[in-house]
Amino acid sequence: MLAYTLRRIAQLVPVLLVLSVAVFAFVEALPGSIIDTLVGTEGGDIEEARAILTKEYGLDRPVHERYVLWLGRALQGDFGKSLVTRRPISTELLSRIPATVYLATVGIVLSMVIAVPLGTFAAVRRNSAVDYTAQVTSLAGISIPEFWFAILCVLLFSLYLGWLPSSGYVSPFEDFWGSLQFLILPAAAIGFRQAAFTTRLTRSSMLDELSKEYVDTARALGHSERKVIFKYTLRNAMIPTITISGLQLANLLGGTVVLESIFAWPGIGRAIFEAILQRDYPLIQAGVLVLGCIVVVMNLLVDLTYRLLNPRVKFA
Amino acid sequence: MSELEADKLVDGTLAWRAPPAPLRSRRLATALSNAWHELRKSRTASIGAVMLVLLFGACIGTPWLATHDPIKQNYRERLQPPSEKHLLGTDRLGRDIYSRLLYGGRRLVTIAVVAVALSLVVGVPFGVLTGYFGGLADTIGMRIVDGLLAFPGLLLYLLFVTVAQAWKLEGVMIDLVLVSALALAGMPEKARLARGSVLAEKQKEYVEASRAVGDSSVSIALSQILPNIISPLIVTSTVRLGFVILIVAALSFLGLGTPPPTPDWGADLSAARDYMETHPLIAAFPGLAICYTVLAFNLFGDGLRDILDPRMAER
Repeated sequence: MLAYTLRRIAQLVPVLLVLSVAVFAFVEALPGSIIDTLVGTEGGDIEEARAILTKEYGLDRPVHERYVLWLGRALQGDFGKSLVTRRPISTELLSRIPATVYLATVGIVLSMVIAVPLGTFAAVRRNSAVDYTAQVTSLAGISIPEFWFAILCVLLFSLYLGWLPSSGYVSPFEDFWGSLQFLILPAAAIGFRQAAFTTRLTRSSMLDELSKEYVDTARALGHSERKVIFKYTLRNAMIPTITISGLQLANLLGGTVVLESIFAWPGIGRAIFEAILQRDYPLIQAGVLVLGCIVVVMNLLVDLTYRLLNPRVKFA
Repeated sequence: MSELEADKLVDGTLAWRAPPAPLRSRRLATALSNAWHELRKSRTASIGAVMLVLLFGACIGTPWLATHDPIKQNYRERLQPPSEKHLLGTDRLGRDIYSRLLYGGRRLVTIAVVAVALSLVVGVPFGVLTGYFGGLADTIGMRIVDGLLAFPGLLLYLLFVTVAQAWKLEGVMIDLVLVSALALAGMPEKARLARGSVLAEKQKEYVEASRAVGDSSVSIALSQILPNIISPLIVTSTVRLGFVILIVAALSFLGLGTPPPTPDWGADLSAARDYMETHPLIAAFPGLAICYTVLAFNLFGDGLRDILDPRMAER
């Protein structure tokens, strides 16, 4: 396990390098120079300002030197300053991460709370009305665009019924119950969509387990059906469900952009989206790099957990 | 060994080598005709197929089916409910929603189909070749794929769109950038699938046989192994089409797609948000259109999987 873990960590290095080159190339692919954007906002003696800024940003050096310089700074958490707010980018991003983690985690937990019982029940009562309903609902859930679902929820619960605020955010550490009000709609939009995937997955892995021989053996030994399902099959069937949910959680950290912008949720996705609208390129660059790293690391953690939960997998 | 015997041996080898090709093409033809036959057995697939035929019919027949110019504004007829003249009513600028849906769908489906086709064209040979050659090529190839997969959610598209915007690209060029981003993002899935199948197929005897008679590695990888992995590729591509449509719609919903007045389901839906309270129908139609399209691809893909993968069908 240790050797495998170390090898996987070593494999991360080239992946992160590919990611960093891609993100660096993105800014290089932009037309003109970053200086134009900066000078535009600063005013004053343009030629002198250009010269100073060119030096400050190291733009008088060749590409590979700039990449190394940029990467070296990035590794120390120094991404430079936002072109718009002039605050350090690391501060900007760090302040936005908790809101996204909060939303994505609650969304995934909600999806599992819905999907695991539903998928299990559908598999146990295969071809019943419940199974059929679960399948149709999850197929519909996968096909509905989340932003449309979110808008419909706002229409119903905020505009018509007036039960919940249509957008906004309160930190759970300041006012827990108040923050829940704002959380319900976006988390439900994530939760229902993810639940659609997870229900299908739980159902099919549960069916897989139920068809195995140990189930017959357990039944033959006279164990109750409840024990067979809850003690034996469900535990095994949960392995893929937990794994995929973990991967989805990682993916959601960058995938809540649309919902964050609908619900005015101050997460990292919306920070990057706003940076795009304001042409704040260093912030986009840093944001994508940070999220990419989080995803890669989370994927590794999920993979290692999977192997801990499922010792049958060989450490190839 | 006499010369005669050697000739015989070569003949024998050639004769033995020949069958796989017609066998495989026949197998493919049989698989397709079986699939057509089976399609009617799987309710999911047949519903999906009917929905897709209607969808593609509408996309192809758009110029004849549309009743109005999709971008012509008419302030006298703003925000009208569905009527005989405007089948689905008009939007905030008095444009005919029905015609906009048709043209928007045509564009959206074209983008999705081209993007998925491109991801196959790039991803499959990539996966087949890295899997076939193994070693360093495989290691480098798979790290590139991992790197692409490290972009969570919409971020890869956001980067591409930002570059397109910064270069002030217009019209078709924006769509091309979007298509390349979608193809690039879809590539890892195809590459991994192809690679996995190749690793499994590589050990089999027919590959060894081809190598023994001197076929080049590339030709073995592409012409012998590829046909064997077609059915999982068809299934994932169908499901991917639905997914790509959701992504494109989400991007244009964010205002990062083709700029107005081009008919666009995501952008139209976003614009309709301001009138949601008073005219909820305007936001309903593009949303329903997206649902219908994605559902059609998902149903068809699901049904196909049951048909083409008998192991899954047992479930």
